[in-house]
Amino acid sequence: MFFFTYLAKELRRRLRQAIFIALGLAVGVGLVLTVKAASAGVTNAQSAVLAGLYGVGTDITVTGAAPKPPSGTSGPGSSGNSTQIMMGPNGAEECTNGKCHSLKDGYTIDHLGIVNSSPISESHVAKIAALHGVTAAVGGLSMTDNQITISATGGGPPASFTVFGTDVGALKLGPIANAVLSSGRTFTASDADKNVAVVDADYATANGLKVGKTIKVGGAKFTIIGLVSQPEGSNPPNVYIPLARAQALGTSNLAGGSLKGDVNTIYVTAASAADINTLQSEIAKVVPTATITTPSSLAKEITGSVSSAAKLANDLGKWLSILVLIAAFVVAVLLTISAVSRRVREFGTLKALGWRGGRIVAQVMGESLAVGVAGAALGVGIGYAGVAIINAIAPRLSGTLPSQSTGQQIMQSTNGATHVINPSTAQTVSVPLIASVGGAAILLAVLLALAGGLLAGMFGSWRIGRLRPADALSKVG
Amino acid sequence: MYELTGVWKVYSSGSRRVEAVSGVDLVVADGEWVAIRGRTGHGKSTLLNLLGALDRPTSGQLKLDGRDLGRLGDAELTRVRASSIGFVFQTFNLVPTLSAAENVEAALIPLRVAGTAERRRRVAAALDSVGLADRARHLPSELSGGQQQRVAIARALVKEPKVLLADEPTGNLDEETRDEIIGLMEKLWRERGLTLVLVSHDGAVTRRAQRVGIMSRGRLAFKADGHRPAPGQNQAHP
Repeated sequence: MFFFTYLAKELRRRLRQAIFIALGLAVGVGLVLTVKAASAGVTNAQSAVLAGLYGVGTDITVTGAAPKPPSGTSGPGSSGNSTQIMMGPNGAEECTNGKCHSLKDGYTIDHLGIVNSSPISESHVAKIAALHGVTAAVGGLSMTDNQITISATGGGPPASFTVFGTDVGALKLGPIANAVLSSGRTFTASDADKNVAVVDADYATANGLKVGKTIKVGGAKFTIIGLVSQPEGSNPPNVYIPLARAQALGTSNLAGGSLKGDVNTIYVTAASAADINTLQSEIAKVVPTATITTPSSLAKEITGSVSSAAKLANDLGKWLSILVLIAAFVVAVLLTISAVSRRVREFGTLKALGWRGGRIVAQVMGESLAVGVAGAALGVGIGYAGVAIINAIAPRLSGTLPSQSTGQQIMQSTNGATHVINPSTAQTVSVPLIASVGGAAILLAVLLALAGGLLAGMFGSWRIGRLRPADALSKVG
Repeated sequence: MYELTGVWKVYSSGSRRVEAVSGVDLVVADGEWVAIRGRTGHGKSTLLNLLGALDRPTSGQLKLDGRDLGRLGDAELTRVRASSIGFVFQTFNLVPTLSAAENVEAALIPLRVAGTAERRRRVAAALDSVGLADRARHLPSELSGGQQQRVAIARALVKEPKVLLADEPTGNLDEETRDEIIGLMEKLWRERGLTLVLVSHDGAVTRRAQRVGIMSRGRLAFKADGHRPAPGQNQAHP
């Protein structure tokens, strides 16, 4: 009881100094808390972006190797594995691998194909699924459908939408896994060979599509059986069709290679997050040429504000909070040493009364710890205020994967100037930054403030513990 | 009570050597009041620190009730201070944040007196014995110099020590208050049978003691006729 009375009265006597130390610690831990919360918010945003770009439940994505770039695609009539559509005053011309033919007015080119990756044999899906540590593996075809209608006026830009060939027997993995049905129905096993499509609700709204209507994919009419919504921040395919139909209608390159028995993406769920790196190596042995992506490797490729925010939080924020914390600790230690130095005679008197050195040290440590507790409480408050400010003013974060060409070039002449239109599938996802304070962050902040208080107390009382009572009493002041 | 034989206290700083106490021989009997006079810097306070187990002699024997304080460890010296010795300082040395009662209670903390009620009873009795029962809740800053020294005396006596050591206890007080305080100390000395060793410049204070020693250049000497018999039970002592 006497311990607390003495502690409280001493702190009250040097209230301003105690508040100053507590505030210093509070600013330090508050900043740590804010940075941790912002960092957690950025991590969540990154996860949301990754989930959008990657697919829920997927730990590893195996993508067919990027095709070799076609040679000599710089001008009309050049050879190579590419298609060029030339629009000029004399009409339209399509050139594939250097062979050109003119296109009639009103002609529509509808090309469904994979453009950024090479096909992988579907048999590899089963091999990967059989690997130790793999819970599930599902193959799919991620494709782009480009539709261009030729007109005498030169035509507009191509209509391009993304199509995903879905394994209708395994809907719990891959892009459709996270989709929520908003209208109609989803695929069943019996749809495997049918021309049925599930369409993203936003895309459907933008293009006036409804359940029961048809949509042309790869030149074939598909009946829309359902509309699905994906969570905010995701970047889902526009249209889902059965994998078998995608394999039948799509081509592996612009020259028309078959995709039968092929997929270009395999989604893998690992039994444990700890297995992901090992699995990555094992899968590389099964499909040596494929690109194997994990959430961490994908995160490194993402550019945009989410990436900048992550760098800001992890680099600047972390070091700033460490610096402020060190400064707060140093100030706390110096002020405590100063306060203790002024009380040397008081402690000498207590020693003369028979107080043990440890009891006096405990008294000083108790005072410092109390200041640390106040600093922790204030720091948590400052942390929450910082989080509130971040959430109030932070812009939405966007993440973009490097632009992926569809492989088609359209050169359009307008008033003598030539424009190149290169339809791409660059994926940009926008998510809100919501900083949140977790229990672990609060615990860390409290421990840091207490550590600051203890450190100050230790430095302050170290001398007192060693001081001979006669020396302490001889001090003036 | 005390038996000092060839006690030296030497401070060394580099090549400089200061003999604060030089070969002091002294016997202080139980219940005796010994005053020590001397000029500043001649070793009075150093000798008092040695008697109070606040410091160890560089050489010689310093026995308190037969125990050589120079050979005791820090923990044992702390216990001796806590249980057997009361101190009164020139500048009172009260903890400024604590009330008069709490300052007195501070002396009981190392004794682990069981129970808050018992501690309060003893504190109240100690303050009452110095005439400050009504000032128990006052802070030192709310008390006069004389009252502060009374609190310091209560603090020294609350643990019922065998020895009371006073270092210039009236040095910061005016003459009237000085007489009050020294009168109080004499009263308590008589009533409690204390052994009192008092250091002072002031002849008006030291002449009340049974024996007056003079400290000069670290050496202690007593006048041949410096002994004044004490009244009551202290008359039997030399």
